[in-house]
Amino acid sequence: MSVIIQNIQIISPGSPLHGTTEIGINNGEFVNPTTLADATEINGNSAWLVPGLIDCRVNLREPGLEHKGTIASETRAAVAGGVTSVVATPTTDPVVDSPADVRLVLERAKASGHCRVFPTAMLTQGGSGNHLSEMAALVDAGCVALAQGNRPFNSRKIEFNALKYAQSLGIRVILDSESRDFAGGCAHAGQIGTGLGLSLNSPLSETLGLGADLELVEATGVSAHFSRITTKTSVDRIREAKAKGLQITCDVTLSHLLYSEQAIVNLDPNFHLERPLRTEDDRLALIAGVVDGTIDLIVSDHSPHETGAKLAPFPETEKGMSLIEGVIQLLLTLDQRGELSFEQSLAAMTSNAAQVINQKELGAVQYGNPADCVLLDPNGSTTYNQEQWLSAGTNSPLFGQTLPGRVMGSWIHGQHIAP
Amino acid sequence: MHGPAALQLTPDGRLKHLLTTEGLPKSLITELLDTAETFLSSQGQPVKKVPLLRGKTVVNLFFENSTRTRTTFDIAAHRLSADVVTLDIRTSSASKGETLFDTLKNLEAMQADLFVVRHSAGGAPFFIADRVTPNIAVINAGDGTHAHPTQALLDLMTIRKHKGDPANLSVAIVGDLKHSRVARSLIHGLRGMGCPDIRAIGPGTLLPSDLGHLGVRTFHAIEDGLKDVDVVVLLRLQKERMSSALLPSEREFFNLYGMTESRLRLAKDNAIVMHPGPINRGVEIANEVADGPQAVILDQVTNGIAIRMAVMAMTLSTQQGSHS
Repeated sequence: MSVIIQNIQIISPGSPLHGTTEIGINNGEFVNPTTLADATEINGNSAWLVPGLIDCRVNLREPGLEHKGTIASETRAAVAGGVTSVVATPTTDPVVDSPADVRLVLERAKASGHCRVFPTAMLTQGGSGNHLSEMAALVDAGCVALAQGNRPFNSRKIEFNALKYAQSLGIRVILDSESRDFAGGCAHAGQIGTGLGLSLNSPLSETLGLGADLELVEATGVSAHFSRITTKTSVDRIREAKAKGLQITCDVTLSHLLYSEQAIVNLDPNFHLERPLRTEDDRLALIAGVVDGTIDLIVSDHSPHETGAKLAPFPETEKGMSLIEGVIQLLLTLDQRGELSFEQSLAAMTSNAAQVINQKELGAVQYGNPADCVLLDPNGSTTYNQEQWLSAGTNSPLFGQTLPGRVMGSWIHGQHIAP
Repeated sequence: MHGPAALQLTPDGRLKHLLTTEGLPKSLITELLDTAETFLSSQGQPVKKVPLLRGKTVVNLFFENSTRTRTTFDIAAHRLSADVVTLDIRTSSASKGETLFDTLKNLEAMQADLFVVRHSAGGAPFFIADRVTPNIAVINAGDGTHAHPTQALLDLMTIRKHKGDPANLSVAIVGDLKHSRVARSLIHGLRGMGCPDIRAIGPGTLLPSDLGHLGVRTFHAIEDGLKDVDVVVLLRLQKERMSSALLPSEREFFNLYGMTESRLRLAKDNAIVMHPGPINRGVEIANEVADGPQAVILDQVTNGIAIRMAVMAMTLSTQQGSHS
């Protein structure tokens, strides 16, 4: 069935259709509406039509952690946040480290998923950081990249070998830079964490690791993506490395763009994250990094948990927040704050993301591309409460909040999904 | 007021829990110290028994090892005629996998009136105060490296008794401030009382890097830091600071920061020396100072009972006075 969506403003940075006012969808693809006869016409009522967002770091929790979330529940939540593609982390239970695991994720996604799911798998068997995974077979099975997640390599030497092997097969790796010596701690080593007497995490934990990782990436020539950078120093290092010509990309989480260490003063466990929220200076440097292109992607790092995981004093709670349901609304929030324009953040979750996961036909509203898009009323608003919450993860700071923007509908491969 | 500190006050500013000294106004601290003094006899010893909390149940919830603090809370509750139940949680439900939340709900069902909480996680008493049934008071008896407000109050009481209003005093805190809930709470308490000169003395590995915003001056050389202070507070040095490579040895710490008679002479003539106990002789403090006339360490212990009586009486009267 073909449709023409009219009376819209297409926002798709870099696309020739950017700024135009109607689009056709036929056979799952964007098409020139003038070529369509007998199409159903949809009045967009002056809403924005944007490419479906691609969220490159999402914990879907399946297999093994279904009490925290399932592919069905979390992809449904994703669509509500304007996300039409998710890259799934491999840190499930067991971890994704075999072609069978990858196929399981893809089959579950096909059977019960509400959006596209791109799997990743571990660089090492069992995530142990010791033995290399069957990287070629994992990519054959459908992985868009290989990662080590929050699990450390057992040594820099093993990391070097993993990167070298991936490089020789043309596989992109995702690295969470961390120095094991400085790892741990539940709050940034600054005024707030010190005052609350929490165990502290020094920014050195990230920057020492990043320095070593950059050397290994340079030495091996692997194509690397650095995930979840949180400090101004990291932004500077990556900017320098890119200027030097290294083939690297990086991402920042939405929470690190929105919040600083100040968010933990009330000990709200929803702000207990794997990478602690850092200073306001760091937050502003991360935003500047997105603006100047040093930071390529914004990710949600969506981490749903069951209620009990957060029902404890702050340091004893599990880490992460459930955020995917508010992604596009939070991008609008950053725009309204005057901190990051919607067009810039949108590129970081559409066209840039499509490049990083090598799905170049996604992430832009363009004739011939798969029709993944979101109809967004920028003047509407979305109110979040526990009753209408879709994610299985109740660990969200969004409850009780009203954010700008309302998703009026989404299309994935031309299939309409009502809000 | 922002932060978890707001949990401990009623909208009209009365104390319903005692969780932290951060943000406690001078008027409330003064009221607590004045009340504590009424529980001391003319000889300076705590009164033996008053019927203020007759029929009330105080539950000591100790998730972390403690002998002294627990004992003084016990004595304080008994002297107020309360019934006291002490739960050593390390050996009970927590080790059977029950969560703190479920433990709390079970104890509430047993009709407690006041919880005294010690926990190794910073913020645990806030978690409890935030979820406890109305009318139950929560007193923080030490949470992680975060806060130990009754210790800070007994320190302020001791300072005020010996040296007068903290608003006119210089106070030096010596040793491991970084891992000390006692130091954090005392700094907030001193600030609340308007103390104009708070100093931190110790090596870089044992001092938090962010003390400046609290108005605390940092000294690495004890000879500079002690100059003309009225009060010297020594902190206990834990053995594990050596194994985690923050210090080379106890001997080196004593040589650099141990309180000796000659160092004490750098402070004002009649300066007092305090220590939350238990003291390590020859590590934080020399024998002659520990046993000398300027040490008020045992007076701190006595005041601790009176302060805990005052905190229990005030929080329970706020919680239950308006409802009974």
